[in-house]
Amino acid sequence: MDELKTLLAVFADIDPAAQAIDKLRELGVKDEQMNVISGIPVTEAMLGRPRQWSNVPRLALGGTAAGFLLGLFLATTPLLYPYYVGGQSLVPLPPSIVVIFEMTMLGMLIATFLGVFLDSTFPSYTPKEYVPEISDGKIAVLFACPVGAEAKFSQAMSAIGAESVKPAEAVHL
Amino acid sequence: MDLVKMAKGEEEQQGKWGMIIDQDLCTGCQACVTACAMENNISYVGEDDAAYGRSMHWIRIERFWEGSYPDVKATSFQPVGCQQCGKAPCEPVCPVMATQHSEAEQINLQVYNRCIGTRYCANNCPYQARTFNWRDWERPSPLDNQLNPDVTVRRRGVMEKCTFCIQRIQRVEDVAKSEGREIFDGEVTPACAQACPADAIVFGRLDDPESRVSKLTKSSRNTIMLEDLGTLPRVSFLVGGANHD
Amino acid sequence: MTEMTSSLPHAGQHQEDLRVEHLMLDPKPRGEMNAMVMDSMLTTSWKFWVISIFLSLVTAICLFGAWGYLIANGMGVAGINRPAYWGIFIVNTVFWIGISHAGTFVSALLRVFKAEFRRPFTRAAELMTTFGLVQAGLSIFFHVGRVWLAYWMFPFPNQRGLWPSFHSPLEWDFLAINTYLLASTMYLFLPLIPDVAMARDRSTGWRKPLYRILALGFRGTEGEWTHLRTAMNIFAFAILPVMFSVHTIVSWDFAAAMRPGWSSTIFGPYFVVGALHSGVAAVAMVLVVIRATMKNMKYFLRPEHFDAIGKLMLIISMAWAYFYFNDYIVQWYGGDKWTKILMDFQEGGPMNSIWFTMLICNIVIPWMFLWNKKVRRTPWAMFVIGLFINIGMWCERFVIIPMSLTINRMPFTWRMYKPGIEVPLGIGTLAFFILLYMIASRLIPLVPVWEVQEGQMAHSLRKFGKETVVTVSDLE
Repeated sequence: MDELKTLLAVFADIDPAAQAIDKLRELGVKDEQMNVISGIPVTEAMLGRPRQWSNVPRLALGGTAAGFLLGLFLATTPLLYPYYVGGQSLVPLPPSIVVIFEMTMLGMLIATFLGVFLDSTFPSYTPKEYVPEISDGKIAVLFACPVGAEAKFSQAMSAIGAESVKPAEAVHL
Repeated sequence: MDLVKMAKGEEEQQGKWGMIIDQDLCTGCQACVTACAMENNISYVGEDDAAYGRSMHWIRIERFWEGSYPDVKATSFQPVGCQQCGKAPCEPVCPVMATQHSEAEQINLQVYNRCIGTRYCANNCPYQARTFNWRDWERPSPLDNQLNPDVTVRRRGVMEKCTFCIQRIQRVEDVAKSEGREIFDGEVTPACAQACPADAIVFGRLDDPESRVSKLTKSSRNTIMLEDLGTLPRVSFLVGGANHD
Repeated sequence: MTEMTSSLPHAGQHQEDLRVEHLMLDPKPRGEMNAMVMDSMLTTSWKFWVISIFLSLVTAICLFGAWGYLIANGMGVAGINRPAYWGIFIVNTVFWIGISHAGTFVSALLRVFKAEFRRPFTRAAELMTTFGLVQAGLSIFFHVGRVWLAYWMFPFPNQRGLWPSFHSPLEWDFLAINTYLLASTMYLFLPLIPDVAMARDRSTGWRKPLYRILALGFRGTEGEWTHLRTAMNIFAFAILPVMFSVHTIVSWDFAAAMRPGWSSTIFGPYFVVGALHSGVAAVAMVLVVIRATMKNMKYFLRPEHFDAIGKLMLIISMAWAYFYFNDYIVQWYGGDKWTKILMDFQEGGPMNSIWFTMLICNIVIPWMFLWNKKVRRTPWAMFVIGLFINIGMWCERFVIIPMSLTINRMPFTWRMYKPGIEVPLGIGTLAFFILLYMIASRLIPLVPVWEVQEGQMAHSLRKFGKETVVTVSDLE
């Protein structure tokens, strides 16, 4: 296997980017060796890429369960601290519903938020492959090409309409 | 002291304390108000604050009249303090449990140290029996010599109300326990009952059918204030007797 | 974006009108929009600084100074008494929580309903939520008698066996408002990440490390976008029940109490709609100010947005009137003596001007003006109407809280409420809100550019018969 080098091709629009991905597959680059970085969310289907899975919904579900248990616990703590007020029972149902609901929602939302951090490994301040044009709405395709074949790939990308093709450098963001 | 047992009322039932106020005997002299202030270290707020509805008195004499002198029609005087409700609306609304039901004495407790001053209990009391320490009022010497050592003083930001002179109840209970006997009827007198010259306030155990207060509750003149609210108060009033039109 | 041109001769003019009218049909290159947003964030005039310094002084004196005075001297310096144990502090608390609901409404409810006009101002509205909740929290702390012990409402294990009471609506408030504050701050932050990444790429000087840290290393990879959008979808749906529950629980502070006029079963939905009423009106006010004072905002905020918000304001005003009348007619009909006395006091008593102001500002003014498209599309008119609505909603809470507390079942205790230090403290919270907003407008990009571009990509024109119509695609 040849040594591989990562190149970065920047496109201005979705259609050229999708064509580029097809072309790269033709040239033998596997899907796992490609990455797409964009300034607007383009779904994988638009570019013909395999679907990206996310753990966020599962984490949200877990957080919901954790929140529910916390709410259940809080609502039943009067059994440990039994003080009677207002002629109500120690664990009255309507206030317990309120407490359980709020804690369930809190669990769900905090887990969702932290799930984004976990899945995307935020925060991460190490140098990464990136070019600032991406936040100007461009779509960058990162791909691995064998050393020595950069010119061929570069030409192929430019023919489809890449604004620039250069070696991907890991920069401090 | 087992907190759990106490809360469940499994400590020896100290008794269900209650009070009855005979409005036909009440002369409106305000001796009860004064005695209560003396006994419970109540602050003196001054004229301006009192006029603005901030007097700290735990019991107040309500009077209503119409007409002007000499053709005045008046109701009987109504002393109103904490009704020590069985289903107290002030209790469940406190976020920090500063007011609770005493399962032992069957009255409503106010825990000064715990109160953070949200004043929800005062809003929810249908009898408006609770008072709030709006400021730290001064007690210039030698007024501070009059303080009752059995009762704490409250600082600003804390709610307070009539406690049925719980310090007197507990002292009598302690004495009775050490002497190995039951409490006699009439042994506990709160300050207001003690001071009343007309003997209009009677205090005792409602669960003792022989006590004076129990017998008086069977009178046809016995009524409960705002009864339809279902607060089950331990204070009732004798009204509508022959002395009034 | 693809644009299908028609072959009809006047089609060009029609499309030009559409382009001027609709932000979504007037796309600019993303780089240009980024530059516009950065420019508006970085530009400050001398007026900005003068106003900021003035507001800082007002905040320092009327908020923190007066609060220190209140803590040192006790609640006696406020106007509360028996029977009005709750006064303007609680009015302000409910008012600010109401304002904060606007943000969630715009950013979550409109997102769920795919209302495209929300795109340029979701962040401006979400900022109102966070800062409004700060003011609400401050107002509650003003109101607590021993505020240095307010942390006792938090359930933490301790050796004294003390625990808060979950029977209390105030404790539910504590849980709900904290949940909402955390949730809305997280919901503000998630869509902000890509825009802060953009700001990071275009900043120099002291801003660059700030945005670098806030951007968390976001680049825009497929994974990052997927996780972000999944989370935003979950948030949009989940934060709606939280929003509804928060103001419902706030309303239960009153409805659970045993006071004439308060124990009304309709308070839950009534308060939620009331919150939306004042909140959406406040959004309109804030957007007018942003559009008038910040560079390039006239591109992003157009008369079409005020038109849409104005329609919402009208509908919500009708909903509010429906709930208010519901509450009113059953109390009027019911025959309960104390409720009747309370209603007479509200309508004919010494403070009845506040009750009238409430009705005029909440119902008459919106119904008189907001049906008119020209009025809705005029920003300064929307500001004035929004201001009246907020005044009306403040009066509504004043009627419900101190005015209703004056009448209870013990006439001997009835006494009028006269505000004291609540007035400067209320002014202080308003100044603090505006100050925080002004600072935020120059620290983070106010317009979610990536969402605007996403919307512009989704909009196109196509021919439908002989008509050129706007088409919105669902790109998710």
